[in-house]
Amino acid sequence: MTATAAPAPPDEQSDDEALPLRRTPARKRLVPYWLLLPGILWLIVFFAAPLVYQASTSIQTGSLEEGFKVTWHFATYWDALAEYWPQFVRSVGYAAVATVLCLLLGYPLAYLIAFKAGRWRNLVMILVIAPFFTSFLIRTLAWKTILADGGPVVGALNALHLLDVTSALGITEGHRVLATPLAVVCGLTYNFLPFMVLPLYTSLERIDPRLHEAAGDLYARPATTFRRVTFPLSMPGVVAGTLLTFIPAAGDYINSELLGSTDQKMIGNVIQSQFLRVLDYPTAAALSFLLMAAILAMVTLYIRKSGTEDLV
Amino acid sequence: MTHTATPSSGGDVRLHRISKTYGSFTAVQPLDLTIPAGSFFALLGASGCGKTTTLRMIAGLEEPTTGTVELSGQDVTALPPYKRQVNTVFQNYALFPHLDIYENVAFGLRRRGVKSVKKQVEEMLDLVQLGPMARRRPQQLSGGQQQRVAVARALINHPEVLLLDEPLGALDLKLRRQMQLELKRIQTEVGITFVHVTHDQEEAMTMADTVAVMNGGRVEQLGAPAELYENPATTFVANFLGTSNLIPAEVTEADGTALVLTAGGATLRLPTRRCNTPARKGEKVLAGFRPEKVALAHADDAAAVPEGHNRMAGRVRIASFIGVSTQYVVDVPGVGELSVYEQNIGRDGRLVPGADVVLHWEPEHTFGLDAAQSLLAGTTDDEGAELDGEAA
Repeated sequence: MTATAAPAPPDEQSDDEALPLRRTPARKRLVPYWLLLPGILWLIVFFAAPLVYQASTSIQTGSLEEGFKVTWHFATYWDALAEYWPQFVRSVGYAAVATVLCLLLGYPLAYLIAFKAGRWRNLVMILVIAPFFTSFLIRTLAWKTILADGGPVVGALNALHLLDVTSALGITEGHRVLATPLAVVCGLTYNFLPFMVLPLYTSLERIDPRLHEAAGDLYARPATTFRRVTFPLSMPGVVAGTLLTFIPAAGDYINSELLGSTDQKMIGNVIQSQFLRVLDYPTAAALSFLLMAAILAMVTLYIRKSGTEDLV
Repeated sequence: MTHTATPSSGGDVRLHRISKTYGSFTAVQPLDLTIPAGSFFALLGASGCGKTTTLRMIAGLEEPTTGTVELSGQDVTALPPYKRQVNTVFQNYALFPHLDIYENVAFGLRRRGVKSVKKQVEEMLDLVQLGPMARRRPQQLSGGQQQRVAVARALINHPEVLLLDEPLGALDLKLRRQMQLELKRIQTEVGITFVHVTHDQEEAMTMADTVAVMNGGRVEQLGAPAELYENPATTFVANFLGTSNLIPAEVTEADGTALVLTAGGATLRLPTRRCNTPARKGEKVLAGFRPEKVALAHADDAAAVPEGHNRMAGRVRIASFIGVSTQYVVDVPGVGELSVYEQNIGRDGRLVPGADVVLHWEPEHTFGLDAAQSLLAGTTDDEGAELDGEAA
């Protein structure tokens, strides 16, 4: 039996012998899922479960002393929106301005690294990432020092009468920068710039330099080459960079907390104070969900509009 | 070489003492070259010989270190590429991946502000037989189709000169042969000057009217393909274009029309006009001949070798049947190994390894080269085993 079974294909063997043979490929097919398991568990415990918990919190009523109960009180959402819509609008506004500034600052930088840096490329890349070596909080505190009222930056801006201009525009007040929208937007821009530069660099670096030569060869001036070839081809990076900047910036509260005043409170600050100071958990949870929904809606719209599905 | 005498007219490319150095490396030695209007001109050489750099200097993508580039009598050395009436078909084509085929082809016209491009683009796509592909993206096309798009995208601008940088390098052999004929057809049809850079000697010879063989940043020899092949001026050209047997020889007699040489005990005759170096009695020269010009006779038939032929005795070492021909490596005492290609017309069954044979060829098919050169210049790995023959 053994002699004849060995060369025969597994199908022709008896069921008893074939079973272990058939199970092996099945087990192999499951390997990728087993490898995914730790990640899935992590997501369930630290993302899905808290999300469900927050969702239930947002529809609870009660007080800290008496305890909170799920009463399907959806009115919390309307009340929160009615009370805090200015902070919502401000968050989106600050994040949008910071994202545009990041794009304007980051694009030339990424372009330079990708096409002109040559052997300095790695060094410049390290410089871009270097801020991550210190904590977000420390870096933002450093900006507080940089923009301090008696500091050289404010002094120089005053000497050049630039603060008069920005005051007239309503983004600073008097002869200071701290505790103004300008300071918060500067902080956001600074902190999220690497998230813009890295994806931009990746997509620019992938562009074949011969495409630039080909465009030049086909009568495109350098500016036209950029507009018709380089920029369209870097769109995946632009989209990824703006999302990576805008999403965290819209929910950020550190910059507003450290560099702004009560007039620059963003939605993140509200959520943080509702959770930790006011201890109104339902409102805080409802605000979190509103922020999430708003960002999801804006991002979906943005990706549809930018039409980069086939490029990404 | 007669082509260079053409007077300046539309589409001429003239390079005057043009050179390019990168730091201490000289990519192109000072070079004078005239490419007449309407010709199909090939720059042929191994990689790193300066042919692509020369092409890029004509396109304006590379700034010459010295010298000038003239197009149709106008000095364009200082002009950026987008101001030159020159278009390039790039190696690997460099098609714009975010534009469809139609927009790729229309790119040059749009940049020059041409209003209605539709008719021209459609005509051009028809010329390269890609009409139905107009709305596809480059990455949806095969290599051969992409190559035709690249040609169409350049030609639609009616350049004075079309530059082709290894345009067929990415294609497989069969497609390459087909595209060679296709490009030649297009060139004849549009009558534009084509400057073609390639490392494939067969490609250069198939398509070009004039071939410049480059080596080490210099033009080794310039001429019609047949002229270069039949009468190479240097060992590099002799080895790079096809295969050559090169034998060191000494001049024993020199009269007005022919030289008599001795090599490895054999006496060879070489017409004086086929000798590319002034050779006097007692001096050394390299005698060369092509493997396919040699006939092989078994030693027993030595008496039948025609009178007046150059002849050498040897022993067959390797015989490889190729189909269209049989390639022999023959060991000639005192000379080394020589290659012989025999058409498979009436194969002599006795010509097997170990057989004693006589190689013989007409003196007219011998060429003479300066002996102060490397015998191995221009031998490349592509040609592999065939070259073992002259590693004497």
